[in-house]
Amino acid sequence: MIRDRLERILANGSLNLGEINARRITDTLFVVRHREDAEPGKVSTLRIYTGPAAARDLARFDRKGQYRPLKGAPTLPTGWELRLDSIDSLRLAIDSFYPGALASWLAGEEGGVNPVDLRTTLNRQTGMYRVTQKLSNAQANELAGRFCRSDGGCLRTILWTIEGKRPDGNLPETKFLTSHDQLGKYEPAIPFLCLEACNLFVAEARKSVKQSST
Amino acid sequence: MSLAMTAETQRVNEEPIGFKPDSSLIVVGHGSTINPDSSTPTFAHADTIRQKGLFADVLCAFWKEEPSLREVLRMVETEEVYVVPHFISEGYFTQKVIPREMELAGAITRSDSKVIKYCEPVGNHPQMTDLLLQRAGRTAPNIAPDQTSLLIVGHGTGLNENSAVAVKTQVKEIRARQIYAEVGAAYMEQEPLISNWPSLTHCPSVVVVPFFISDGLHSYEDIPVLLGIHAKSTGAASQREIFRRNPYILNGRTLYYASAIGTDPMMAEIILEMVHQFDRNHRASAVGN
Repeated sequence: MIRDRLERILANGSLNLGEINARRITDTLFVVRHREDAEPGKVSTLRIYTGPAAARDLARFDRKGQYRPLKGAPTLPTGWELRLDSIDSLRLAIDSFYPGALASWLAGEEGGVNPVDLRTTLNRQTGMYRVTQKLSNAQANELAGRFCRSDGGCLRTILWTIEGKRPDGNLPETKFLTSHDQLGKYEPAIPFLCLEACNLFVAEARKSVKQSST
Repeated sequence: MSLAMTAETQRVNEEPIGFKPDSSLIVVGHGSTINPDSSTPTFAHADTIRQKGLFADVLCAFWKEEPSLREVLRMVETEEVYVVPHFISEGYFTQKVIPREMELAGAITRSDSKVIKYCEPVGNHPQMTDLLLQRAGRTAPNIAPDQTSLLIVGHGTGLNENSAVAVKTQVKEIRARQIYAEVGAAYMEQEPLISNWPSLTHCPSVVVVPFFISDGLHSYEDIPVLLGIHAKSTGAASQREIFRRNPYILNGRTLYYASAIGTDPMMAEIILEMVHQFDRNHRASAVGN
């Protein structure tokens, strides 16, 4: 169970995932902050929020007020502390910051994840995205390098492939290492897995194909 | 499914949905990579249902946002899960995209570890007719319906011929109630086009109600532009202004424009009703077999 696993991790310290840090203070107080703000002494400068619904609002816009449809983007605002009164509320909050991340991580630990090759993802598209089936491997690699890179793109660790091979696109080896902290802080962090190219990637693939055909 | 308000439907509507501690509920919305408000109604209704404590877990999933339809089932920890599309029409998304992405085999999908029960979209529920009429009445409170044309607007698409069925069904139901002088269907991307509203309607007052789940680009901008009450892209800050400026006087006609129907708080009850309806239909078919 995700809840039990969270409880065990927090009993022994704090948890890092993507850009967030979560800590258990007492059985009825759990605190989430941006990892930039994780030092305990920072509290006086932080805006305080309560309840899991606030996590959704905190994750919705970046520091410039731009919408963040890609939750893995390293653009989470700093300067806040989210207080939650139960482990269940904490789980809901983490699922709002990084939807599905805890479940994928646990499934990965139990050997229950099957990364999906990009061709399988693109070949099942219909409607306006059917055209992505024409994305060349070179375009796919270029897109992965641009769209998925941890510094400015997405903090997930890529496990999917392009026709059986790791996406190239000048991504570093660490982009595929589940043990690597994609934020580049070299701190212990829960693996933040990308098992299949997301819909935002597919939408970008459509743009790449359209641009190359004009 | 017949949308007639049968005695059976009325009876079921009066019964509260049962406690399902061993089941989860996934409410599926469209979501958007552009409009930050698109998923808000889906999340809000899921929050309302979660607070009732009926299910072990209540989750949302989206086509265009996260969690995606591909990953949400991994988040479910119960064996049984109900999936309710927070969609108006039984069309491209509910019949093709959601089943494909979630790997559903039909109404009931049994995998190694899960039983997935795929419910009908909320737009199929008979109470949608009441919601549309309520919305029309609130938008144009001081006009005589018997001297007014009512237009229900859907997206419409060439991708699936069923997409327009929900709108057509509602138009038929509302006409049968004989409240408005004239009731018609119009669409953004198929005939009859909403841009032709002056020739589609004949009364001095016209009420336009978008049959959409959430206010977004379509209801803030696309339909207003097609109606001729709004110039393209005047900025996000004034989005809701479009609903506050009623009525619009155009070509000697008085036009009232309503916000999307899917934001109504009653929708949470309708989502639960779709679960209830699934159980009732499948219990009935099991008995019948």
